[in-house]
Amino acid sequence: MPSDMALAETPTMSEAKASRLVSRLGLVTLRVIAPIGSVLLLWYLAIWFSGLPAFVIPRPERVLDVLWVEHSFIFENLLATLEVSAIGFIWANIAGIGLAVLFDVLPPTRHMLLPAAITLRNVPYIALISVLMLAFGDSILSKTAIVALSGFFPVLVNTLQGLRSADEVQLDRMRILNASWWQTFSQVRLPYAIPSIISAQEITGSGSIIVAIAAEWMISSTGLGYVINHAMQNYRGDEVYAVALLATGLSFVIYTFVHWLGRRLDWRTGDSRRS
Amino acid sequence: MAAAISIRNVSRRFGETWALRPVDLEIAAGEFIALVGPSGCGKTTLLRIVADLQAPSTGEVRIGADTAAEARRKRLLGLVSQRPAVLPWKRAIDDVRFTQKIAGRVGFDPAKVLGEFGLAGHENKRARQLSGGMLQRVNIASAMAHDPSVLLMDEPFSALDEMKREEIGEWFDRELSLRPKTVLFVTHHIDEAVMLADRLLVFSPAPGRVLEVVSVPVPRPRDPSFRQDPRFVAITGHVRNLLMHRVPEGRAA
Repeated sequence: MPSDMALAETPTMSEAKASRLVSRLGLVTLRVIAPIGSVLLLWYLAIWFSGLPAFVIPRPERVLDVLWVEHSFIFENLLATLEVSAIGFIWANIAGIGLAVLFDVLPPTRHMLLPAAITLRNVPYIALISVLMLAFGDSILSKTAIVALSGFFPVLVNTLQGLRSADEVQLDRMRILNASWWQTFSQVRLPYAIPSIISAQEITGSGSIIVAIAAEWMISSTGLGYVINHAMQNYRGDEVYAVALLATGLSFVIYTFVHWLGRRLDWRTGDSRRS
Repeated sequence: MAAAISIRNVSRRFGETWALRPVDLEIAAGEFIALVGPSGCGKTTLLRIVADLQAPSTGEVRIGADTAAEARRKRLLGLVSQRPAVLPWKRAIDDVRFTQKIAGRVGFDPAKVLGEFGLAGHENKRARQLSGGMLQRVNIASAMAHDPSVLLMDEPFSALDEMKREEIGEWFDRELSLRPKTVLFVTHHIDEAVMLADRLLVFSPAPGRVLEVVSVPVPRPRDPSFRQDPRFVAITGHVRNLLMHRVPEGRAA
């Protein structure tokens, strides 16, 4: 009978759902545990086989202990690094996306400004940091400028590429409808550019933390870069490792967040509600 | 009465290379003209010149009393391309509304027309969720959504298989009888052109030149049984022979 069949199917279906949930949880656990486990294994093997002293290669539990004991000092400097990274990241996007849009609106500016952007991209960051330090000293301006300079080029190149990737068929449609520049840009070119812009954010977002730490390491008296510098001068390998661990985790979290957000904004993968 | 489209001495050349030899043609309102010929003969070039998407090297196009540029600015033209121009992030119905929003003119109720186009129940699907035939119907609905007087179609059904192409062609013929338009239709398929068009412009291989203007003296919309009609067989045979250089040239346009 149909009703009996429906009753008989219910536990089977929930069992299948539960089984799928368990296998999914197992997969997620494996994806988290496997990389952490392999890093820890390699770390202990390096300690045992290298014979290096503890201030060069401390044990993982010692590093975690430092993170716990010195958490207020590290957290205070973490906030300083985050501030530099965030401001630099925002400026990188304003400059990169802004220039790409300018090149799209006024193509001659591309020939005028792109060579300068490429040249700037090829100047060693160490030299840039030194020049900015001479100009602005140990200020937030010099550090955010470095982060912005390192990040704007990938944003510029990817945005330009994305804006040019709009389908010619769609552009013809907009021309035949006598659409304005803004309508074509906002309704066709920009949505086509979003996947490329997201790729740039994945690079720039996590990279801004690394560049901010490098800038702080050279010129600052605050931030995680400064903590590393301070720890090196005091032969505190455990503190260096603690900061490295924290920065790596932070970059990873930022990358994952941007990637997750990107999948929701990307019309190829997300369930966009635009209309 | 002024022609719906006047093509006067229109040609296109790139340096010393002709893409399209001079063409003259007067098209009446509501007339369906098929441009037939081998690849690279200038059919699409002529279509794009009429659409004001490309400038001619010589001559001019008039849409009624307007130049092609003025007609485009007045949104009198609709374009259907071979690859559907349906925005991939929009639902079918939103894509039709999008044309109306950009053009600032509502030609018809999108939901009603999508239903008439055989897309009832598919209005909220996106491009990737629609079959090739359905997607091309949405594309045509979007191109007609602002009620243009001229429809320019560049091999719109060529990506479909033969059965689907015939089916959508018959459907389109019926639709045009409900919403008459002046149509310029580029195709490689002789049978399709003879089934749909009032007149065929038969082009020579590159550099493109009009070999003959062939009339199909049967009223539209045409019944599928027209394919078995001796006139259909005679016209398709004549066009085929023209394209294969098996007959002397007829009257040039």
